[in-house]
Amino acid sequence: MRPSPALRHWLPVCLAALTATVHAQQFDVQTRQLDNGMKILLLEDHSIPSVALYFLHRVGSRNEHTGITGLSHFFEHMMFNGARKYGPKMFDRAMEDNGGRNNAYTSEDLTVYQDWFPPSALPLIFDLEADRTRDLSFDPKMVESERGVVANERRLSVENNDHNLLGEQLMAAAFNAHPYHWPVVGWMVDIEHWQRQDLVDYYKTYYAPNNCEMVIVGDFDTTAVMRLARKYLEPIRAQPAPRPVTTTEPEQMGERRVQLVKFAQLPSLQVAYHSPAATNDDYVPLEVASYILLKGESSRLYRRLVDEEQVAVSVDGGQSPHLDPFVFLFDIQPRDGVPVGRVEGLLEAELGKLQTGPVTARELQKAKNTAVADFYRTMKTIDGKANALGTYDVLFGDYHRLFEAPGRIRAVTLEDVQRVARKYFTPKNRTVAVLVPEKPAGKPDAKTAP
Amino acid sequence: MMIRHLLPAACLAVAALVPTRPATAGEPALRLPEYHPTKLENGITLLLVERPALPLITVHWVMRTGGATGDPAGQEGLASLTAGLLRKGTATRSAAQISDDLDFVGATLDAGAGLDRASGSCEFVKTDLDAVVDLLAETLTHPAFPADELTKLVRQSVDGIKEEKAVPGQVIGRYFMGALFGSHPYGRPVGGTETSLARVTREDVVRFYQERYAPNQMILAVAGDFSAPVMEARLRAAFGGWTARVAPPALLPAADPARGRRALIVAKPDATQMFFRFGNLGLAFTNPDRVPIEVVNTLFGGRFTSMLNSELRIQSGLTYGASSGFTPLRLPGPFAISSYTPNETAGRAMDLALETLKRLHEHGLTAEQLKSAKAYLKGLYPTQFETNDQIAATIAELELYGLDRTWIDTWFARIDAVTVADARRVIDRYYPLENLSFVFIGQAAVVEPVAKRLGLEARSKPIEDPGF
Repeated sequence: MRPSPALRHWLPVCLAALTATVHAQQFDVQTRQLDNGMKILLLEDHSIPSVALYFLHRVGSRNEHTGITGLSHFFEHMMFNGARKYGPKMFDRAMEDNGGRNNAYTSEDLTVYQDWFPPSALPLIFDLEADRTRDLSFDPKMVESERGVVANERRLSVENNDHNLLGEQLMAAAFNAHPYHWPVVGWMVDIEHWQRQDLVDYYKTYYAPNNCEMVIVGDFDTTAVMRLARKYLEPIRAQPAPRPVTTTEPEQMGERRVQLVKFAQLPSLQVAYHSPAATNDDYVPLEVASYILLKGESSRLYRRLVDEEQVAVSVDGGQSPHLDPFVFLFDIQPRDGVPVGRVEGLLEAELGKLQTGPVTARELQKAKNTAVADFYRTMKTIDGKANALGTYDVLFGDYHRLFEAPGRIRAVTLEDVQRVARKYFTPKNRTVAVLVPEKPAGKPDAKTAP
Repeated sequence: MMIRHLLPAACLAVAALVPTRPATAGEPALRLPEYHPTKLENGITLLLVERPALPLITVHWVMRTGGATGDPAGQEGLASLTAGLLRKGTATRSAAQISDDLDFVGATLDAGAGLDRASGSCEFVKTDLDAVVDLLAETLTHPAFPADELTKLVRQSVDGIKEEKAVPGQVIGRYFMGALFGSHPYGRPVGGTETSLARVTREDVVRFYQERYAPNQMILAVAGDFSAPVMEARLRAAFGGWTARVAPPALLPAADPARGRRALIVAKPDATQMFFRFGNLGLAFTNPDRVPIEVVNTLFGGRFTSMLNSELRIQSGLTYGASSGFTPLRLPGPFAISSYTPNETAGRAMDLALETLKRLHEHGLTAEQLKSAKAYLKGLYPTQFETNDQIAATIAELELYGLDRTWIDTWFARIDAVTVADARRVIDRYYPLENLSFVFIGQAAVVEPVAKRLGLEARSKPIEDPGF
């Protein structure tokens, strides 16, 4: 689901009616659209003399194919490596010289660019952003140097991080057809083989203004910012819409298991169940299930696995909003010497209880109270507000969903939770990944093998 | 999700400030929000900041005497376990009840030890004020320290260390502190080791608490949506009956800086990158040179375009990140340069890091560079001091180290005053070239030749050996 087309005129939102406990009237979000199709969300917030500016491009590893896995993320890096007006290194330098800083992230669905800066830097920031969105250069020397940076990022975050290395195997097993099969950072062999032309093609297709949404929150004047947006961003030409991702993952027909055998002191366990996209009606009841199972030390899984049976050091997981059906993850660090199979059995037992046994009214109320508190935590910083508005608008299809979240959680019933638990937490829908420690000599450690 | 860069982990921890809107056009003045330190009758220092923007409240507590420098040698982790057990049972509630009561209202409650203090934070929606403050006070004034909860926490912590050792970036700091500070209390791993934790008994925890937790050593900093007189009355009701007294923290001698060059090699047979960190003693929290150092370090290793990140990442692609940072403590804490690189480029990256340090000394910094760093820092500050949590933690830290609000309220003026000569002076004084303590984590066959070529006197240990 795409964000609904916004109007060119002001669209003040009466959020107070959406939920009784969230006082949303203080968040006066404005919506605009440039002639080239770029949607803009604005929220003035004068609490600190600073601005958070987000550009969300609708491109991520989901849009890649074999041979160019990780290209979206690599492209994100290249966006800082020089354009027509501001050459290599000048983007970061100009920003820092003027009191700004930036970062960016790439997910399966999105590539997001973030700038934080004092209001005095607004014109410069728009000039910088327009320059790289319109006239990015792909200096072959920079491409090669940045390839090294990204390869090192992969080494750091995957190859020297057992947890993520296992997660990569889990996702590759859970998804056969859909591009969520490969990691956002890409396979190392693809990182080594991307071509400059791949980047050029990507730029034209996915960095068009009509494939992008801008969110700005902070100490600015809406009229002045819209003047800058019209001057700098509106002249960038729209492009034909990118080819939609049409692949859907076929229904899983039975449990899948993968092992990672390598040097490690402890085994590790990750279990994934296919779960719905953010816009699906089952997403919210599953969110309540995740509060009941995983949120805090009073959650069912913490209590059973960590506290009572003491078979795990930690238990973590949940769903995360995605454009296409993703996974509900359980990520468990077993205690030393505890057979992984025992941990897995206890997880299954707890999921079984949720499917057939009662959810107490107190558990449900706890989920509702937590949702309200979490909403306010999201709104603690201008950066948190910008990120939440942008991701809700793109991934849930409408930023109003951010303000509706506590109310939607409140509407979930005990029966809803049981229904989604029965629907998704089934053996056939499960993928299990186990890290099996291996001693340096190459011999698996018998006591920790599953 | 992949992130473009990780902010340097060890950049200067500066105190919080709240920019106020300028009366006239121009740069914002920076002042902490209004607060008036007061004391309850039992000695608790109260710092209350009214911030009504969201219906949230953060209570941040500091126990001056609760830090890990109080751990007996061989029982590293005792201060951490004591702080961690506060919420694991009180005179009237079990650990499970406490978790349930907190989670039911969506409140958070964390506690832990640092070297110089124990501290904790509690955040909640304002409508739950009475219940949450009573619960927090109960955990601090009447903890029960159940023996089975200690056993659980020890086992989890021991396995937690083994898990962390699978990710070199999570543990290299502890190896570095051990290598740099040696037997000085700052060299003790705050979270303990695989063996030291197991030596802690319930009696040790109870004694540590009785000797080190008392209202006369406590700071309560509260920020959020409340009225100060109401909050003060609430805190008096919850904490006022606590009458214990303990002696102030012992004064420690400063550590000796590293002399010459020496290295610790931590062998990790599956590493495809070599992680390195090197440095020496840095500076104390109250050192007035923190301001010029912050300006200099921004340029050397504190921001994305810093000299270190430019050389090792932007120009050469040898790493995903290179940085330098100071950790100010009561006594001089560590200064360190850190990065990581593929096994194949270990020697080259190491050389480049040292050459960059040498270049800082040879070329110094220009007025233009200083101007950029000052603008960067001043632009950055507002977002670092935006939330209740940031404000409460900051004013509590000022109080802990005996500073007042002028430390912050003059920060911008002091940044503006930094000259090229100041930069030269702090480079000479705080960025050692020859006296350096190194830590490497990686495959022995990769690291050993690097250490040898640098002429380092090195000792080695496998990463799976207990301790750091």
